[in-house]
Amino acid sequence: MHQGKFQLVIHRNAKKTFLNRAGDARVTLFFLPTIRVIAFAILLAVVSLLPATSQAQDWIRTGTGLGVEKVRLAASDFKPTTQDPNTGALLKVFNDTLWNDLDNAGIFEMVSKSFYPTDVPGNPAEVHFEAWSTPPPNASMLAFGDFGATGNSLLVHGWLYDVKNVGSPQVLGKQYTDAATADAARTIAHKFADEIIFRLGGGVPGIAESKIFFVSDRSGHKEIWAMDYDGSNQHQVTHLGSISLSPRISPDGTRLAFSSLTKTSWEIMLYSVELNRLVSFARVGGTNLSPTWAPDGSRLAFSSSRGGESNIYIADATGGNMRRLTSDRGPDVGPTFNRKTGAQIAFVSGRTGLPQIYTMEADGTNVQRVTDQGYAVSPSWSPNGQFLALAWFRKYGPGAPGANDIYLMDIASKQWVQLTHDGGRNDFPSWSPDGRHIVFQSSRSGSEQIWSMLADGTKVQQLTFSGRNSQPNWSWK
Amino acid sequence: MQADTDIFSEHNQLARPLAYSVAFHAAVTGMILLAGVVFSRGSGTGWGAGGGGDAMGVTLVSTVPLPAPQVQTQNVLANDSKGLTKSQPETKAMEEPDAIPIPDKTTKVKPKPVTTASKQKPPAQPVEETNEVPFGQGGPVSGPYGTFSSGGAKGGFGFQGGGGDFGSAYAWYVRVVQQKVSQNWLKYEIDPNIHQANRVYVQFDITRNGQPTNVQLEQSSGVPSLDQSAIRAIQRIDTFGPLPPDYSGSKVTVEFWFDYKR
Repeated sequence: MHQGKFQLVIHRNAKKTFLNRAGDARVTLFFLPTIRVIAFAILLAVVSLLPATSQAQDWIRTGTGLGVEKVRLAASDFKPTTQDPNTGALLKVFNDTLWNDLDNAGIFEMVSKSFYPTDVPGNPAEVHFEAWSTPPPNASMLAFGDFGATGNSLLVHGWLYDVKNVGSPQVLGKQYTDAATADAARTIAHKFADEIIFRLGGGVPGIAESKIFFVSDRSGHKEIWAMDYDGSNQHQVTHLGSISLSPRISPDGTRLAFSSLTKTSWEIMLYSVELNRLVSFARVGGTNLSPTWAPDGSRLAFSSSRGGESNIYIADATGGNMRRLTSDRGPDVGPTFNRKTGAQIAFVSGRTGLPQIYTMEADGTNVQRVTDQGYAVSPSWSPNGQFLALAWFRKYGPGAPGANDIYLMDIASKQWVQLTHDGGRNDFPSWSPDGRHIVFQSSRSGSEQIWSMLADGTKVQQLTFSGRNSQPNWSWK
Repeated sequence: MQADTDIFSEHNQLARPLAYSVAFHAAVTGMILLAGVVFSRGSGTGWGAGGGGDAMGVTLVSTVPLPAPQVQTQNVLANDSKGLTKSQPETKAMEEPDAIPIPDKTTKVKPKPVTTASKQKPPAQPVEETNEVPFGQGGPVSGPYGTFSSGGAKGGFGFQGGGGDFGSAYAWYVRVVQQKVSQNWLKYEIDPNIHQANRVYVQFDITRNGQPTNVQLEQSSGVPSLDQSAIRAIQRIDTFGPLPPDYSGSKVTVEFWFDYKR
């Protein structure tokens, strides 16, 4: 291999049995109208009811020449400038948020705070370059600043210094003012972290202010919920009292498309996040599921069984001008646009038996199969257009070991890599706007919850803890 | 006679239905076979085993836009700037404070040799400057050049513009450029029969908003697929991020070279 990489896997097999995922598929079974869709749903339900066994392994990854090392970044606690009683609590929120954002970015090697010099710099004059650029901190970048709350207002100065470049150290200098609340302190920390990530990450905007939409049943019904990218600030968006699935936020972040059960059928619905109410979208009859936005926000693709067979359709953002894209035998569901070009659509098709991932042009031509075996669902196209994230049972069938894991596939070369392993059922991957993170649904903790990880499979963390939460969708910015 | 005719006529009546029956069963069998051919789709193979698609089982997708840990180290000096860092100097073992030196029985004070004015010291050797940085005073390569290596292949680059000090004033930006180009260089685009090639030079401009423009091949390697992959590596990049706000120029020119070997 010219990458010069080798992988060492040490096996220590341990069998685990996980709970059934008796979720959406089983519910849909009662309402789907056409026989073929019912057959497909039964297949999905059977799969979700199979007792899953998975093999736990200890993984050691090693290799040579894998790329460029990470920037060593130190983020010192900001220095309080006022004696206001609020300052202490707000400053803690700020410091924690800033540290988490930078740590989660995936492009920094954060220097542990225990290595820092004892005198915290509050402004550029107080920075001792030598103390930061040499061991123990041995940082190449330093984020620092001051933080003051006076009455109802908050004043924050933040700097980013290249401490090894004494001649012209300043990379960034910012000033923020806002109300003296914990939310505002968190927002300022997000903004400053995004600026640092934008500069040092090569012009890719940070994701600290992005949102994740998901389905939760903690109100008693399956409704659409939203949260910050780090799992904080979880709140309910829709209150329909029905079953709502597969939320997809529009590229501009104003409208939320999802499929919901009406008295007669599953329909695509549109919810305005700004107006906090449903806005009109044509109801066409049949079973309409899994909408997806074109990157320009002008069109929606979704699967509909109005013609008898479940096929991919495309329509305007109001539901008008609906056209059918696929016309093969077997159900086609779960479309996703190429987020960079908007010119291709990936989707799931059962035309050869078990579901596989296919791609086609946005006008329905040039259908190509991308997965070669197993049971592959939930494609999600990366923001740079290069990768598909998908949920894949590579070895599927009676007696075949394996688990439902998240994989990454390079579309041009069809090379793939497995991101999750030995952890329950993993499904519904969705990309962060910077293309460095993936949020997904996993049952590894015993129940369906939302998890996130870096796009190389590291830094896995749980975001939701109460109720059952599924089908996450990361906002476009 | 009567019986004979009866038997004969019965026999005659049976032959026709028998022929119909045979023909009917042949038709049914044929139709079953035909239906098997017409309506068979992915029989067996559709159940997850092989068939269709051409995904490759490769354990590495090298272009995930995240910095991967670099285990390989290579000290490649682009110029004679301070670049190499020295390891921590050895600390001398401290003598125990309460150790009393044992007096030597036969210590004799040697008389110092008398130096005469006629004897001269040899001229001091000129101290050759090293490019080592003493321990604790490390820093980035301060010159405008940098290199990276990725999977047996190497790349390097130089910056022009800003009076020549862009690389030293904005070392962090140089690092971003290096990182993004190395991430976007897809080595699977290179002809797999090539094992070694000459260095290919690519030149491009970075505009104020960070976009690479004017990508051109400065010197070909002689391997078209390698030239193409180098140019595509730059073209694939949307932005390096805006140039530093206090940088006065409208663009910087970057010369990037790629060494390929496997």
